[in-house]
Amino acid sequence: MTKKLLEVKDIVVKFGGVTALNNVNLHVNEGEIAALIGPNGAGKTTVFNIVTGYYTPTSGDVLVDGESVVGLRPYKIARKGLGRTFQNIRLFGDMTAAENVATAADSLNKSGLIGSLLGVPRSRRDEKEAMEKAHELLKFIGLDHRAHQMAKNLPYGDQRRLEIARALALNPKVLLLDEPAAGFNPQEKVELGELIRKIRDRGYAVLLIEHDMSLVMKISDRISVLDFGQKIAEGKPEEIQNSQRVIDAYLGVAEDAS
Amino acid sequence: MSKLTASSFNLRDRFGDWWDVATPVQKGAFRVAIIGLFYALPLINNPIIDTPETSFDSVLFYPLIMFSLMAVGLNVVVGKSGILDLGYVAFFAIGAYTHALMSIHTALNLWEIIPFAMGFAMLAGVILGLPALRLRGDYLAIITLGFGEIVRIIAINTDAIGGAMGITDIPGPTSIFGIEFTVMDPRPFYWLTLTLLLLVIWGVIRLSHRKPGRAWEAIREDEDVAEFMGVSTLKYKLWAFIIGGAVGGLAGSIYASQIRSIQPELFTLNLSIMILACVVFGGMGNIWGVILGAVLLGYIPEKLRFLSDYRIIFFGLLMVVMMNIRPNGLLPRKKREHFQEKSK
Repeated sequence: MTKKLLEVKDIVVKFGGVTALNNVNLHVNEGEIAALIGPNGAGKTTVFNIVTGYYTPTSGDVLVDGESVVGLRPYKIARKGLGRTFQNIRLFGDMTAAENVATAADSLNKSGLIGSLLGVPRSRRDEKEAMEKAHELLKFIGLDHRAHQMAKNLPYGDQRRLEIARALALNPKVLLLDEPAAGFNPQEKVELGELIRKIRDRGYAVLLIEHDMSLVMKISDRISVLDFGQKIAEGKPEEIQNSQRVIDAYLGVAEDAS
Repeated sequence: MSKLTASSFNLRDRFGDWWDVATPVQKGAFRVAIIGLFYALPLINNPIIDTPETSFDSVLFYPLIMFSLMAVGLNVVVGKSGILDLGYVAFFAIGAYTHALMSIHTALNLWEIIPFAMGFAMLAGVILGLPALRLRGDYLAIITLGFGEIVRIIAINTDAIGGAMGITDIPGPTSIFGIEFTVMDPRPFYWLTLTLLLLVIWGVIRLSHRKPGRAWEAIREDEDVAEFMGVSTLKYKLWAFIIGGAVGGLAGSIYASQIRSIQPELFTLNLSIMILACVVFGGMGNIWGVILGAVLLGYIPEKLRFLSDYRIIFFGLLMVVMMNIRPNGLLPRKKREHFQEKSK
């Protein structure tokens, strides 16, 4: 019996009169790479914003490791084990790469401000651990040589990978990647695919939003397809590739098809 | 125009390069020299730096060192955390009134009152922050602006604390370590404030380099993302307000003990703007820049006194010109980056 680390149950999201998500059910199993695909505007990023607590769903439930997180502030959900990256890179530009990662690592320890001011032993230990973890993750992601450069001065590809390292610093049960391959060339996409597999092999489950089909089909264990806020298909990559409904959603249905 | 941008001025990088390789002895000597220079300022009596019309010693205490202390406090809020606070004078006023009232109505002296002054200012930070910090940007700035005005207007309209006439005959500090504090001599007050300022700088730098500093910077850079990365943004914004408030309250209590009489009109919006100008002019987020800004903005109007009423025009012009040349402040916030070869 595989464990469901993230479960989205009957989520409905309405913005005014617009229904962004309509009865969406999704889940991510332990140790798998799940993908979420769909045409532009299908509601993929809205799913991320719901599970991370940025929006509250109109109805439905989100479970992280079996525990409901609906209504919790985003920082609490993050600490429960959801790390995310962003479609348009959102690093802390004026902080170094190591500080970016350490900021996320910090949130898992309980050191307080007074402790930091006084330099109590626990604060010193937490401080050391956060920096060590940051350097360890930068090494894992292949950015250790850039640890002390400003995030805003890093090359584009490194910025994307730094976002992943920062999200991993939360020790997430599920890592949410929002179009990590956007703007990458074919070689970089192959490397990214290997990195995502490496992340999975390290024990993190991954939920991936991506438009690059060759990447998605190659690395995903399971794919869900959204169209106009509804899940229209779910299955293994080959099942999705052969699904007429998915092909219709992407290519449109000819008027005289009947 | 491009020749005048910040990158062409690399004295700072030179200093940084030197600092990186300096031995602990060199660093210590440098620190002692700078701090010693500041302690010696009232004793120098040099006509070039002396101010006309106002005695240099009193300029050193107010505005110079007072502005510096307040600017360092406000910098935690504005420069570190990116929260625009237009009502910082409120904390200064709360500190001043706390000393004025407690020194008259209780047997406590300044040293015993300072913790109360800081405590009340911190409490005010919580009371203002809890509702206000749920807002952002312009809306938050308007609330802080209102808070500064509310505190002043309450002071004007409350007869129990002197109303518009304020409070007079406030006791000064009792002597400590053999140093006497008298009405006539502002120098001990300068030395006292300088000592406290050094302590505050030490504390703020400690926090800046640790977890709270990272949380504040993350909030300044992108508040939503900070929250997604597990930072309790409300908690750290509140802490920024509390620490900024405590420093403002500390400054206010010493100020009241030196000038011996306070009125609500000392605590107007102008002062909030002035301290904010020190922070922006000096370089938001950089503690040394902020102090440089406070020293210059405190000193220049006094130095220009010979221009009488026109000095404010010159002062304004100077600021406009400077902000065009160095829009990020005299010493902008900048981390020194370290490059290293990729390890394989």
